Amino acid sequence: MSEALLSVRDLRVAFATEGGTVQAVNGVSFDLAPGEVLAIVGESGSGKSVTAQTIIGLTNSPNARIEGSARLGETELLGADEATMRGVRGDRVAMIFQDPMTSFNPVHRVGAQIVEAIRAHRGEVSKQEARRRAIELLDSVGIPDPARRVDSYPHELSGGMRQRGMIAMALALEPEVLIADEPTTALDVTVQAQILRLLGRLNRERGLATILITHDFGVVAEVADRILVMCEGRIVERGSLDDVFYSPTDPYTRGLLNAVLRVDQAPPPRAAREGQALLEVRDLVKHYPERGGMLRRGASPVRAVDGVGFELRRGETLGLVGESGSGKSTLCRALLGLIEPTSGSVRFAGREIAGLSRRRMRPLRREMQMVFQDPYASLNPRRRAGQIVAEPLRLQGEATGGELRGQALELLGRVGLDDAHYDRYPHELSGGQRQRVGIARALAPRPKLIVADEPVSALDVSIRAQILDLLAELQEDFGLTYLFVAHDIGVVRHVSDRIAVMHKGRIVEIGPADEVCERPRDAYTEELLAAVPVPDPRLARERRQNVGLE
Amino acid sequence: MGRFVVRRLGGMAAVLFAVSVLTFLIFNVIPSSDPAQRMAGKNATPRLVANITEEWGFDEPLPQQYLTMMGKIFSGEVISYEGREDVDERILEGVGPTFSLCIGAAVLWMFFGVLFGYLSATRAGGLLDRVLTIVAVAGISMPVFLIGEVLLVYLTYKAGILPSGGYVELAESPLEWAEHLMLPWVTLAVVYVGIYSRVLRSNMLDAMNEDYVRTARAKGLSERRVMSRHVMRNSLVPIVTLFGLDFGALLGGAIVVEAIFSLNGIGEYAYISLINADLPPIMAITLFGAFFVVLFNALVDIAYAYLDPRVKLGESAR
Repeated sequence: MSEALLSVRDLRVAFATEGGTVQAVNGVSFDLAPGEVLAIVGESGSGKSVTAQTIIGLTNSPNARIEGSARLGETELLGADEATMRGVRGDRVAMIFQDPMTSFNPVHRVGAQIVEAIRAHRGEVSKQEARRRAIELLDSVGIPDPARRVDSYPHELSGGMRQRGMIAMALALEPEVLIADEPTTALDVTVQAQILRLLGRLNRERGLATILITHDFGVVAEVADRILVMCEGRIVERGSLDDVFYSPTDPYTRGLLNAVLRVDQAPPPRAAREGQALLEVRDLVKHYPERGGMLRRGASPVRAVDGVGFELRRGETLGLVGESGSGKSTLCRALLGLIEPTSGSVRFAGREIAGLSRRRMRPLRREMQMVFQDPYASLNPRRRAGQIVAEPLRLQGEATGGELRGQALELLGRVGLDDAHYDRYPHELSGGQRQRVGIARALAPRPKLIVADEPVSALDVSIRAQILDLLAELQEDFGLTYLFVAHDIGVVRHVSDRIAVMHKGRIVEIGPADEVCERPRDAYTEELLAAVPVPDPRLARERRQNVGLE
Repeated sequence: MGRFVVRRLGGMAAVLFAVSVLTFLIFNVIPSSDPAQRMAGKNATPRLVANITEEWGFDEPLPQQYLTMMGKIFSGEVISYEGREDVDERILEGVGPTFSLCIGAAVLWMFFGVLFGYLSATRAGGLLDRVLTIVAVAGISMPVFLIGEVLLVYLTYKAGILPSGGYVELAESPLEWAEHLMLPWVTLAVVYVGIYSRVLRSNMLDAMNEDYVRTARAKGLSERRVMSRHVMRNSLVPIVTLFGLDFGALLGGAIVVEAIFSLNGIGEYAYISLINADLPPIMAITLFGAFFVVLFNALVDIAYAYLDPRVKLGESAR
């Protein structure tokens, strides 16, 4: 192995908080060789992002205590003065972040932000020259029509284009090291696949040493050379891609790998369900008028849901898969009677509910409940867990006082929480516990149908498995019917009896889960499946060779 | 843009119409406001009152009276009940002092508001931030009339540095113009400096936590550039809104300050007219003030679209 480009030794970062000192990073050491892709994998709170940000001096909280050493070539980065660090950041070490929407300044043009980066380090480069360079960079990361796009504002680009723009900006000064912090987490799978291919290409063509920070083993298998697994501020496992995937030594790593739900592996078969239809949807259409102000009528409407029909049987789980903008959310809201469809029919338990008035819809509402993606945002921060669960019970007017509390406690018990959680506020609960409260709240009115909208995508893999198990258990016990909405077809395959794939407002394919995943009939389904990163390095290499490197 | 202007002009006309109707109605329902009675004097004969009523058209139906008055206001013929002076002419006389006061004060408060807000935000938690916070809160809490009087006592009556009031035309003597306006400017600006510095401070602190600020740092920009180009630029947008609304409202007359320093501006005229329940100037001044409020509202929207590329003129806010 050649001389290390970046060498981190015994890095420790502690934050003084009101509740005492939090040791976010606890003795991390590693070397980054020129031209290699090093993945740092871990769950939230493992210290992986803090490690990366500390190396380039972005951990500047006055409460932080930083120890150890990080050498970039001859330069010691920890404790270096601001002028030295400014010279390193962007120029020698560049960074890209998770959310390309918020990572660009919305009020400046993309090109101007790249020019700014260039001229911050190369003052002698003229604006025109820097702009020419920005266009070249945008071109090199595969942005079509770069001469025009250089003058676009960030909001005028799609998510994938924005992330390409971020990468272009990071490459502007030909850095020695690129740190990518969850670079594809906020993107759709097909876009993720493109960005990963781009990162892989940059690494091969430019020998760009990369630190890839992620929670996703699929992403790791696609692009990494070596892996560090972090847990609670420490590195618990390190090794080559194949070593870590095929012979992990640490129990935590093994647990993480086992928790990954792979789309290419069939889950244990589920009992067949032959119930009657609970929900029947026919030719459902929801168009939104083009947003163009009062005087621009007549423009073509946005066809959010464009003729959708399916049936949901009692006791079954139907997985609804689609990328952002496919119309999943609009469809769900129309099914629940939260928005009025433009046309079509929705029958719930034999009763037509499309176009029902609010008043007549109300008694039906309790029979269809929803579990949301972000349990933190969807629970009232000023109410205790018990109150949140008790509220729907109280609204039904069936119980009061101690009886109400008893019923709420019972529901909390059903989702694996206990008395101690009753009086906690959402911010005092972990992500998994919050989602359990969200599920208990949905169960409270004793619904028949639960629409779960990305219920596990905000959760860490290990917790995700627990929540999915809980949902399956509750389905058995309460005879629930699920519409399970997610962008991750791997997760969907493992929980669903049948899968519906949505694309551009239509269901392009619907069928038994195994069949859709193994023998897709629709071209889009195929594309979607091919884009899902497989947490299996050998398979990933095989796939790359089949596609011919690009 | 053209469509935006047309729509905005229509909206402005509607607002001005509503404001004038409301003012007119309020004046006609408040008790003991029969203008003929008061114009005739304390010991007037009923005959005199009747004469005046007929002469001024107070016996006509309200809509007719309203239309007559609006016609007169816009043709410049409107005469006040009290003193029978030409209202529009009197308002035009007030434009000089009122606009001088507002523009000067606005320059002061924008400069110091932004400066103090910037210093506070970039040194949040430090000594300077704490001092500026106290100054700002004191400025916001102190009533304008108190600040004005205190300044008068110390700088005029005791120290004799500045004149106590009155207005000198800019064309007559720029130096005296500024001298006479110095105290009014400071008095009017104090509150706004306090408010603007606090708003800017909290906007900037929010902006500093944005992802794009982290990106800017990761690019290796200097701290000053991060602050000016990424934090300040984005934090100024709400300040522009505030400024447009405040400034537009003040152009219709800064009543208290004008009264303290006898500037003889529009605000002072409004104050006197209100005391005398003198409808014609009240109507005219209300329309005048409302016009600027609506105008600056439109200008704020245009400025918004310029400052934030995500906003498009003529589209509803998302």
